[in-house]
Amino acid sequence: MPDILIFSRIRSTFVEHVEENRLRAVCQLNDTLTEATVEVLVKIPELEIVDAKAGIVRAVSRPKEDETQLAKKVIGIRIGPGMKKIIRGLIGEGDETKQLAFMIEECCNAVILSFTKDVLLQRPEDKRGKRDFYRNMVKENIRLYNRCAAFAPGSPLVEGIEPPT
Amino acid sequence: MIKFMRNKLVRIHQIDKDHLEIHGMLADDIYELELDVVFKKSTLEIVSIEGRWNRWTTPECPRAIPFLQEAVGLRMGKDFSEKVKKMVGRKSCRHYANLLLECCHAAREAVLHVIGEKVETAQHGSSPAEEKPEKPSKAVEVPKEEIRTTPTKAKQRFSGCIIDLHVHTTPASPCSSAPIDGLIAEAKRIGLHAFCLTDHDYTWSKADVEALMEQYNYLLLRGNEVTTDQGHMLVFGLEKKIDRLIRLEELREEVNRVKGFIIVAHPFRGFLTFGVGQLGLTPDKAKERALFKRVDAIEVLNGKVTKKENAFAREVAQSLGMPTTGGSDAHEVDEIGQFATRFESLIRDEKDLLEALHDGAFSPVAYKEERGIK
Repeated sequence: MPDILIFSRIRSTFVEHVEENRLRAVCQLNDTLTEATVEVLVKIPELEIVDAKAGIVRAVSRPKEDETQLAKKVIGIRIGPGMKKIIRGLIGEGDETKQLAFMIEECCNAVILSFTKDVLLQRPEDKRGKRDFYRNMVKENIRLYNRCAAFAPGSPLVEGIEPPT
Repeated sequence: MIKFMRNKLVRIHQIDKDHLEIHGMLADDIYELELDVVFKKSTLEIVSIEGRWNRWTTPECPRAIPFLQEAVGLRMGKDFSEKVKKMVGRKSCRHYANLLLECCHAAREAVLHVIGEKVETAQHGSSPAEEKPEKPSKAVEVPKEEIRTTPTKAKQRFSGCIIDLHVHTTPASPCSSAPIDGLIAEAKRIGLHAFCLTDHDYTWSKADVEALMEQYNYLLLRGNEVTTDQGHMLVFGLEKKIDRLIRLEELREEVNRVKGFIIVAHPFRGFLTFGVGQLGLTPDKAKERALFKRVDAIEVLNGKVTKKENAFAREVAQSLGMPTTGGSDAHEVDEIGQFATRFESLIRDEKDLLEALHDGAFSPVAYKEERGIK
């Protein structure tokens, strides 16, 4: 087989502060088949989506509805746990809308990660300080326990911490 | 200025007639990781997978790598995304799960639209938009139980009672591992008067629940945890089947028609690495959310959120002067009854429950802690 790519994709998502209480999250997708952009405006601290727009330049299958009108269906929802189900429920789960829904999810994920980054910037850099920082994170929010390999039983980060009932 | 950026790159080439090699890279302000996946084109199956960390956060993140092998053998199709999230996201790392899904969805598109091959398993949809697992059409078959520890209706002489208003069963809630028979046995053991079946977007049939009550001699009440655009709502008194997302205002209209009751579940369930407080959200700001105008009560003791999140919900409810409830949100048998709701009147059936909810004579209770139950 020739060593030539049959498919290539780049997906870039970023978050920026646009006003004191507004974040703008943008997801841009460009691949062999699709070129699309989704933009979501989020009110903070409520993390409520206050505006959304979308543009599809190229796609194998397009939504029947105008993509921006479709994206605007998520206005009013709160970014948080359970949001993926809500986004898919509002945008639709068909082949023609799933990419749009996923791009909105990626915007929302990036907003959450932007706050996670703020938290991680406070982390001490020495070995013990780092370990204590993550242990405290689990103690503060026991939902982290067994949430991934790093916080699974057997990891020093959760040693001695009571698992949730 | 950009506050956060994530880039994902996927490239695919065909290594032989039936196999694709996929290289994926995720690089953002926090993480940088790579995946090499071999994918069988005819069956959309993951044949092999290799992962590499370039940048990570906790000192234990490298433990995630061996668990990537859990995804080998998975085929795209029904529930693929959910399986990846459970097997890779929970056991390994959710950022690897995110990249693996990106790689596999790209591969599926390449197979279907670039190579143009028909693949049997791919026709059933794959995420980001997948079908929900099927819900049971009738009650789970459970063995006949002989233990009868709870008094029958006729024998009950309560001046009040404690009910867990928020419980999930398997398989009605795909996220639950708690079978109904186990939940009933545990509820009896800890002395709960009754519990409500509040499976996600699923209402048990009256006949099935009556059969279970007869079989176990235990009071079960029906509800539904409905997914709305404003989050999860515990709904009581609504027979109409609502098995997909509904806007809260529509749900309110439906519930009004039958004089039902809506409790907003875990309204401030937050994030894993930061809390609502760190966002600067105050009860005064939070209470302005429009959803509170469309619900009848607020769940302020929920077994799946942090103490701070429950305390925050309580502050908001107090500020709004709204009734409050408690529920375990049990997804495992031993979680039932952690939190519950104390009713001042005797609840014998769903009619009593609705009346009591509308009367507002109830309060949340940390049931197990209060009674010292392990």
